[in-house]
Amino acid sequence: MKSLLIDTTKCISCRACQVACKRQHHLDAEKTHFFMTAGYQNPLHRSSKTWNLITFNESNGPEGFRWEFGRRQCFHCIEPACVTACPVGALHKNDSGPVCYDESRCLGCRYCQIACPFNAPRFEWDSAMPEIKKCDLCDDLIRSGRQPACSATCPTGAIMFGDRDRLLHEAKKRIADSPDRYVNHIYGEKEVGGTCVLHLAGIPFEQMGYIGGLPEKPLGRQIEKPMHAVPFVMTSMATILGGLFWIIKRRDELGRDDREIEQKND
Amino acid sequence: MTNHWIDLANADVVMVMGSNVAENHPVAARWLEAARSKGAVILSVDPRFTRTSAFADHYCQMRSGTDIAFVGGMINYALENQRINWQYLKDNTNAAFIVGKDFHFHDGLFSGFDPLSFSYDKSTWAFDLDESGRPKKDESLRHERCVFQLLKNHFKRYDIRTVCDITGAPEDQYEKFCDLFTRSYTNSKSGTWLYAMGATQSSHGAQNIRSYCILQLLLGNIGIAGGGINALRGESNVQGSTDMAILYHLLPGYLKSPALKDVSLDAYLEAYTPETNDPKSANWWQNTPKYMVSLLKAWYGDHATAENGFCYDYLPKRSGNYSYLSLFKDIDQEIVKGLILFGQNPAVSGPNAGRERQVLSKLDWLVAVDLFETETACFWQENPDEAKNIGTEIFLLPAAFFCEKEGSITNSGRWAQWRYEAAPPPGQARPDLWILNALYKAVKVEYENGGVFPEPIINMNWDYVTLGGHNGPDPHRVAREINGYFTKVTEVKGKRFAKGDQVPSFAFLQDDGATACGNWLYAGSYPGSTVSENKMARRDKTEAVNRIGLYPEWAWCWPVNRRILYNRASVDRFGNPLNPDKWVIKWDEVKQTWRGDVPDGGWAPGEKRPFIMKPGGVAEIFSPLLNDGPFPEHYEPFESPVANRISKTRNNPAVNPLAFTLEHLADRNTGNVERFPVVASTYRMSEHWQSGVITRNTPWLTELVPDSFAEISRELAAELAVKNGDMIMVESARGSVRLRALVTGRFTPFRLRGRTVHQIGLIWHFGFKGLATGATANILTPDIGDPNTMIPEYKAFLCSVSKA
Repeated sequence: MKSLLIDTTKCISCRACQVACKRQHHLDAEKTHFFMTAGYQNPLHRSSKTWNLITFNESNGPEGFRWEFGRRQCFHCIEPACVTACPVGALHKNDSGPVCYDESRCLGCRYCQIACPFNAPRFEWDSAMPEIKKCDLCDDLIRSGRQPACSATCPTGAIMFGDRDRLLHEAKKRIADSPDRYVNHIYGEKEVGGTCVLHLAGIPFEQMGYIGGLPEKPLGRQIEKPMHAVPFVMTSMATILGGLFWIIKRRDELGRDDREIEQKND
Repeated sequence: MTNHWIDLANADVVMVMGSNVAENHPVAARWLEAARSKGAVILSVDPRFTRTSAFADHYCQMRSGTDIAFVGGMINYALENQRINWQYLKDNTNAAFIVGKDFHFHDGLFSGFDPLSFSYDKSTWAFDLDESGRPKKDESLRHERCVFQLLKNHFKRYDIRTVCDITGAPEDQYEKFCDLFTRSYTNSKSGTWLYAMGATQSSHGAQNIRSYCILQLLLGNIGIAGGGINALRGESNVQGSTDMAILYHLLPGYLKSPALKDVSLDAYLEAYTPETNDPKSANWWQNTPKYMVSLLKAWYGDHATAENGFCYDYLPKRSGNYSYLSLFKDIDQEIVKGLILFGQNPAVSGPNAGRERQVLSKLDWLVAVDLFETETACFWQENPDEAKNIGTEIFLLPAAFFCEKEGSITNSGRWAQWRYEAAPPPGQARPDLWILNALYKAVKVEYENGGVFPEPIINMNWDYVTLGGHNGPDPHRVAREINGYFTKVTEVKGKRFAKGDQVPSFAFLQDDGATACGNWLYAGSYPGSTVSENKMARRDKTEAVNRIGLYPEWAWCWPVNRRILYNRASVDRFGNPLNPDKWVIKWDEVKQTWRGDVPDGGWAPGEKRPFIMKPGGVAEIFSPLLNDGPFPEHYEPFESPVANRISKTRNNPAVNPLAFTLEHLADRNTGNVERFPVVASTYRMSEHWQSGVITRNTPWLTELVPDSFAEISRELAAELAVKNGDMIMVESARGSVRLRALVTGRFTPFRLRGRTVHQIGLIWHFGFKGLATGATANILTPDIGDPNTMIPEYKAFLCSVSKA
């Protein structure tokens, strides 16, 4: 299974990966105003136009001041809750690693957003035909034997692309070789049953805004049963959702979209 | 760079001071990471905790403009703790030379100072000479006037306490930095020094670099793998433009531009061709006549003959200072009436930019060659009410972007790399070569119709083939001229060359007109007449035999593809590498030849000294060349919140403010600490580039950094009751700007001699044009600077900060 190993201790937050992602997927720039965090983070959150976001985290530890750069994107879980939650099979896990999305099947129910522990899928609030958007690990590039735009662009080798087993081995080796440099935790090794995006860090992940305390069991298995009932109610849902769009659009215009929720999780 | 980017991976310790490598040269971080993965320690010294500091293993804070104190203390530490590579020092530097008895240094002033002219009479800085005219030496380094003893004496004042009092660095951290870096003094370790504009943009910028050099020479770190003094150039081809004489005092290949006193070619060559009678000195500049005559032949072709001094008389002669700042003074005084700007935007990038914007209105005409309409090209839009009084006629010539034209660029490591047109330029945009060619031809027509002294223009050797369409002259033709060619049948070194043959290397250049060469340093870059012989286009990833990342078949590097300069300093007198694990060159006894990198001259080991560009063949720890002293000495920046702790000479005494500033001296309100108590500095960041003309017009980048801002400490923010994102007013003696405050823990106030001194930092990328607009930081910066280079002191000045 193809994966990414993100070594945040090698990241210089140049954000070439963030721009490369937008270029690769033809994603528009967002209108931003200054910075809202301790650093240069922009935009503040991921969105349908920003699938990959470098975060800036200032901290004062026993060894003095630190400035750490985290990264947010779809983790491409081995057993993704979003895939289980999707009533129409619009999301699917490829054998090669990426969790991909088929917009022709999507109903816009946003169950995937609620199911995802990492808040990865984002909804196109400003579109009349909204789709779910998120990192697809550059599935098309992987299929043509290339690597994702972000890892290809990274100047320092902070983003490494390869088979998950090999990357996991590499991550363990780095921790063993430089125990002073890393916390002894490979984020994504065990979280929610393991993910195809693995992270290394020099400070505890929670201090960089990563979600802590996730179960080691895949979340999908916990919601599988209730989800079987969903297709039966889906047909009526479609009509309701269509009507909901107008309300949501209006809410977006008023600036009260679900970013408030995201702020909490993101 | 004495070394090159990949070579950073060979270092055991990396000092990043006066540069912010991770932010401004992000790709270089790849090699720093490679060094670290092999156990290297990366050190970051900066007034502000930067992304480089975050990447580094250790960070030490220092106040802007106190580099010499910081490094002077490191020099003192090395001397006191015997962290000296003694053999290297004796073999390769002038440490043993004996300075004349009239030299002295007292209270911040070297001997020979004339306060009226702000200058030194350097005659007392000379060495004592023996009967043969060579400097006297004391190899034991004990003579009281030998350079080594003078150095010790000079820097013993820079003890840790004093240094930290000046710089604001925490003592324990500072001592740790001294220790970690000077450990590279052994032959088996190497330390590299990375600097950039943080060092040069100062009223003692050249001396900042000198201090780095002296320390690196004491530690034996020049000429070796993973060592060197490495200037990180701030633009992809700035090395190339410097090589090609973008600076007013130079001709291509660092030949001196002629001054008024150099009345003839003979007088010029006599003045600038150094001599030595030391058989061990290669004295490379003895070749000046070959390089100069070949340059004139390239420029004036058949018109240049021995009889007419190869048209030397055609060259303009310097009668003053033509630096950037002087240029604006001349515009202000209406001496200069027209201005052509190739990719430059002084209204954003110049010091005292508000004043410069006013001065631009005195021009009759202005041509801006750029990708977008710059602030400079529409300086009049800032005050539309006054626009009707401005008579400047402005022309905007759309330029092709780097990927829309073919040609070479030279990176910081001196690698000339060929690149290609990936897409044609849009609309009427044209490559620089096209624009220059059209401009030359139009000017030539004017001169053919009459004019004063038309010969230098109409006799120019301008025989480029124009490719047609959006293309101008064939860049290969230009590159071949830069490489050089034979102008007639000639035999050199037993080889016969026909007229028109390309010169194989600069060793074949002649001083009799038999060769033409546009830049001797680039001789060998294009040694054949076909495209396949363009060495700059090579892309072979084969490693050299020493496996230290030289990749000699990738592109081409000046001089003669030598990747590490002064590499003869990396071997002993038998040609054995001082560090066999990371050897650069090695003498092959059997084949009687060098292996590894291209050596600094092919002479057998011990035959010539390594510093071949110096008449004595050794590196100069004591140097009479600079205008402000043979040793670096700490002076406060021109605008400083404190007195000079180490002498009564507050500022660099060799800086004549009259030579710089656009203001009349009486109006030159440099302010005082009461009115402007806060130290300020300017800098760039990864997301924007230079004056932002391109990046502020790129939506993905304006998304990342949409607005101009100043970074301030939490402590200062608390004093001013300012929150992150609030608007603040920053004012200096030159002007004021209103921008956002970024409140951060990455700036902390300094405690200096019992006082709290705040420092802030501003990015200088912004202006009033483009997709993203914002306040221009350079409205605040001073138009005063270094007495050698005339580079303005952007990096340290005073301001006040208030809530807006």
